[in-house]
Amino acid sequence: MSSADLLQAFREAAIRVGAQVKFFSQAQEAAAYISDQAGGLILVPPSPALERLDLAGALRKRGCDLASRDFRVVAPQAPAGVSGANFAIADTGTIVLESTDEATRLATTLPERHFVLLDPRKIVADGLAAIPWVRRLQQRRPRSFLAYISGPSRTADIERVLTIGVHGPCELHILLLDGLSDDFLEN
Amino acid sequence: MNKQRTQDYKQRIDQALAKPKLQEALHKFGDAYLVSRANAFAGLDFEALRREIGAMKDEVRDNREQLLAQFMDNARTTGAIVHLAKTAEDANDYIADLAQKRGVKTVAKSKSMASEEIHLNDALAKVGVKAVETDLGEWIIQLAGQRPSHMVMPAIHMFKEEVAELFGKVTGNSEPAEIAHLVRVAREQLRQTYFDAEMGITGANIAVAETGGIALVTNEGNARLAATLPKIHVALVGIEKLVPTLEDAAKVIRVLPKNATGQFLTSYVTWITGAVPCGEGEKELHIVLLDNGRSTLAESPHCRDALRCIRCGACANVCPVYQTVGGHVFGHIYIGAIGIILTAFFHGLDKAAEIVRACIGCRACVAICPSHIDLEGIILHLRSVIGEEEGIGAAKSIVFKKVMRNRKLFHSLVRAASLLQKPVSKGERTIRHLPAYFSSFTEWRTLPTIAAKPLRDLLPQVPQKVDQPRYRVAFFGGCGNDFIYPEMGLDLVRVLNRLGVAVYYPEEQNCCGIPALYSGDRETAVELAEQNVKALLAENPDYVVTTCPTCTMALRRDFVEHLKDNPAWARQAEALAEKTLDVSAFIHNVLEERIPAGTASESETVTYHDSCHLRRGAGVWQEPRALLEDAGYQLKEMARADRCCGFGGSYSFTSHPPISREITKDKVNDIAASGAAVVAMDCPGCLIMLRGALEKRGLPVRAAHTIELLAERLDRD
Ligand code: SF4
Repeated sequence: MSSADLLQAFREAAIRVGAQVKFFSQAQEAAAYISDQAGGLILVPPSPALERLDLAGALRKRGCDLASRDFRVVAPQAPAGVSGANFAIADTGTIVLESTDEATRLATTLPERHFVLLDPRKIVADGLAAIPWVRRLQQRRPRSFLAYISGPSRTADIERVLTIGVHGPCELHILLLDGLSDDFLEN
Repeated sequence: MNKQRTQDYKQRIDQALAKPKLQEALHKFGDAYLVSRANAFAGLDFEALRREIGAMKDEVRDNREQLLAQFMDNARTTGAIVHLAKTAEDANDYIADLAQKRGVKTVAKSKSMASEEIHLNDALAKVGVKAVETDLGEWIIQLAGQRPSHMVMPAIHMFKEEVAELFGKVTGNSEPAEIAHLVRVAREQLRQTYFDAEMGITGANIAVAETGGIALVTNEGNARLAATLPKIHVALVGIEKLVPTLEDAAKVIRVLPKNATGQFLTSYVTWITGAVPCGEGEKELHIVLLDNGRSTLAESPHCRDALRCIRCGACANVCPVYQTVGGHVFGHIYIGAIGIILTAFFHGLDKAAEIVRACIGCRACVAICPSHIDLEGIILHLRSVIGEEEGIGAAKSIVFKKVMRNRKLFHSLVRAASLLQKPVSKGERTIRHLPAYFSSFTEWRTLPTIAAKPLRDLLPQVPQKVDQPRYRVAFFGGCGNDFIYPEMGLDLVRVLNRLGVAVYYPEEQNCCGIPALYSGDRETAVELAEQNVKALLAENPDYVVTTCPTCTMALRRDFVEHLKDNPAWARQAEALAEKTLDVSAFIHNVLEERIPAGTASESETVTYHDSCHLRRGAGVWQEPRALLEDAGYQLKEMARADRCCGFGGSYSFTSHPPISREITKDKVNDIAASGAAVVAMDCPGCLIMLRGALEKRGLPVRAAHTIELLAERLDRD
């Protein structure tokens, strides 16, 4: 599949599972989107790609309230978390996120909104194509916590009715940003 | 047999049947599930995928010791503490001890069937530790003091009003019965638990030997929280969850959500290897590997395929018995078809003894299983094991052992019965009412009578004018065709004669043995297999044809299995298997013939009912449809054409008539809704059931065997 096809397939699958998918060419635009939607304190865990972009700086400039540590204390009150994806899987619309650092986990599990930035070049076709990268991530950090995230948290446990946002985020915003990072091992 | 246990069980069936709302919910779910599942698998080759999973899991079973050692080594290298628990008590003791030693007061649990299997919450409560279920469904049933009624959707038997009431007790408010609101309540109520809990307990869907890591396949996000916030993480993992490599794990993940709920993938797949950072320090990760009967299962040549199971729960979703009574009746801890087998090995034969008889044998589970397990085959085996342990009941035992094995006695008794029924049949071909004691048999269907003359007496008198026959075939009548519907056999002769085939009826043939096998009397089934192989091969026919797919499968599959270890019979059984097929497949695939519509001007509308053993046993379903259409019938498909009709032989007469009644009712509704004038099928058993039920309901739909409908066309030329 060409990269355009992968992107197209990813976008469709992600939307199908209830994610919001947006395209940006500038970090500023992405920051504007996040600041519009966040609804309060934003958790920004360490992320090499987002730091290079100085996303935190851009958000602060827009007057956003950010937290970058003590997540255990502040997370329960924070409505939003931001992260950078390692890569994505097209056929299921899945974001792959190395979350070994606890801050990343807290920022992406507790708040109601999760914004994740992804470079459109980092998309593989399917679950099997993802495995070589999973293996490399696990080899690089043998103690690791890797998350596949497809859409928001959901349940159908009451009368089989699909309901969004039970324990995890109620909203998943995927922000596709050109030139973010082409390194699958980096988030 | 244990009378009290059986009585309790029957009572539970009656209670479940008194809840039509549950049945309705499970039926709706079953229908919706099939639609979304088909969508999720579109473009994929399910048969290839499941063969692959089956083969991979078998490899794991064969190399389990080495893979387990590899997993434990790798997990330990990454800082996990690994404990291999032989039994449920062992696992419980380990976890309860750990909780006590670490001063744990509260545990945040995410969903784990293994923890249900060992009653972990009770073990923790005994040492004063409170386990809070955080999966929404599990929390609901924990509050209700119940157990899961489905492996994937534990609270599928509950309704929002009940949930609102339970949640109201927790919040102290009256909670409106709106699902979105109730989900919100759960989110808020359970949130603090993750922070309070000193220990998180999760299961695992997969354990990867290559890395020593686990994978959790979930939707709600609670497992991520339970594995993240508390200082201690205990993962309780059945050893059957082991796979060799990450690629193998990806293959399981590709199939599991699709087959479980029709989702392409769950919201989360969480891969955890080793002790990850936690707060200021490092997580204390314990992996408790649970055996508890799994190694014994691996050693059982008849049952070990059950270890391939990936716990998708689909075998329940499509099961007509499950849809009728739910998982609290049709299950112990594990439910549905796989539940019967796992219960026998994890909780003891006694706990499985009743539910092992609850399977109607329709093989819907076998067709849907992503791990390629012959669930029905294993269940039948367990039934015979329990039959040997507990006996199959004195009356059945006499019928099978003393009567059926003695063909002459059996057949003379059938003839005697034909005379004895006269007072109730009043000379008609169906019995509408039976005297008081048996009246429940005819409450919701009429019963056919035993024919005055069996097919074996009639057939030799039919002149067969076939010049230079293309083939000479032996006709295996089976009890239904021989004694109940002999005219159907004569139709077969007429149709095949017309197509240039000569038919003879080997006199020495006996019952195919399925009734005995289904009742748990394997010994009789084996004896009957020998009698029939001998009788049918004696004159070296070109083919052996039947009108009954259950008999077809007995001749083609079961005889080979029964006789495989007997050098005198094994080869012959295989030879018979190769020659045997049902008459529709014979006409369509071997003769490559059709019966033309002839002079039929108006076309009669027919809906086709797929008999379980024809469609899912023999894989035949297009053939009879094609023959009927060629013969000028207009096909009008009913919904759920391949769902069981509820017959199941003695299932509908003696073991589970109330469940049969419900399954038949569903089928009759589907037939009626199709609007067709005729319902066709290729099985005398289905015909007994559907003719009887249609007649009792007074519906103007004729039920007929395909061969009868084809024969009618001959008359029109
Ligand atoms: S036996 Fe097959 S269908 Fe049933 S739960 Fe296991 S894998 Fe799923």
